[in-house]
Amino acid sequence: MVTLGISPDISFVILTAVTLIGAIMALQAKELIYGAVALGLSFIGVAGFFVILDAPYLAMLQIAVYVGAIVILILFTIMLVRREQSETVERSENAEGNLGLWLAGLLALSIAGVAALAGPNLSVEPAAGNLPVSDLGPALAIQYPAPLIILALLISAALIGGLVLAKVER
Amino acid sequence: MVTLVSYIIVSAALLGIGIYGLSTKRNALRILFAVEIIVNAANLNFAAFTRYMNPPQVTGQILVFYSVGAAAMEAAVGLALILLAFRLNGTIDVRKLNKLKG
Repeated sequence: MVTLGISPDISFVILTAVTLIGAIMALQAKELIYGAVALGLSFIGVAGFFVILDAPYLAMLQIAVYVGAIVILILFTIMLVRREQSETVERSENAEGNLGLWLAGLLALSIAGVAALAGPNLSVEPAAGNLPVSDLGPALAIQYPAPLIILALLISAALIGGLVLAKVER
Repeated sequence: MVTLVSYIIVSAALLGIGIYGLSTKRNALRILFAVEIIVNAANLNFAAFTRYMNPPQVTGQILVFYSVGAAAMEAAVGLALILLAFRLNGTIDVRKLNKLKG
């Protein structure tokens, strides 16, 4: 486990705070653009979780794809959609907010409750010895090559589709 | 003491936040934020479960790899759709995008 000199418990608490507060701020911030920045913060928190879960490659991928690509894409879209637009939209959503809050809270609490009840039956200690990053390459290329090719096809199709959708007709 | 259950609880909290945003927000961009948060909760679960397997397995990390790729794709198409909807209708309020309603 990568500890960076901090005890794993403290880093877990800090990462939990960053991730959850970032996620809440992303949805509740007044300005959409601050929401996008908070979303990036939440993604960085999840990348930190990947680091303490011994998945440094996933942490790198998370930061490169989510923070580097998706958040930047969202920021550009916010700038293309006029600002006053997004402010007037959000004014009248408090009425149905309560029901959604109760439903989401109930769902999260029930999942957490089931996990806590099943806790003693799960293996709660991390397995000894971690996997080197070099194990990922063979697994991707030799064990699971078909999903990789399908994903590549899907991504190119999606990018071409995105270009066609966003094209301005002249 | 950090156990597997701690990760499941954080992931459930992220899922709850995402479901809340998905069910109450009217701004299409906020709904996209909520979807990304839910995908992150799933990825966190994959990484945590694969770390606590004995002996250590690489499968969960591979799944997160594919999931991140699919999420990037989904964000690109979603943002293109939002831009198109804004250009055609002048709004990104999902309650007002009801042209398909009979």
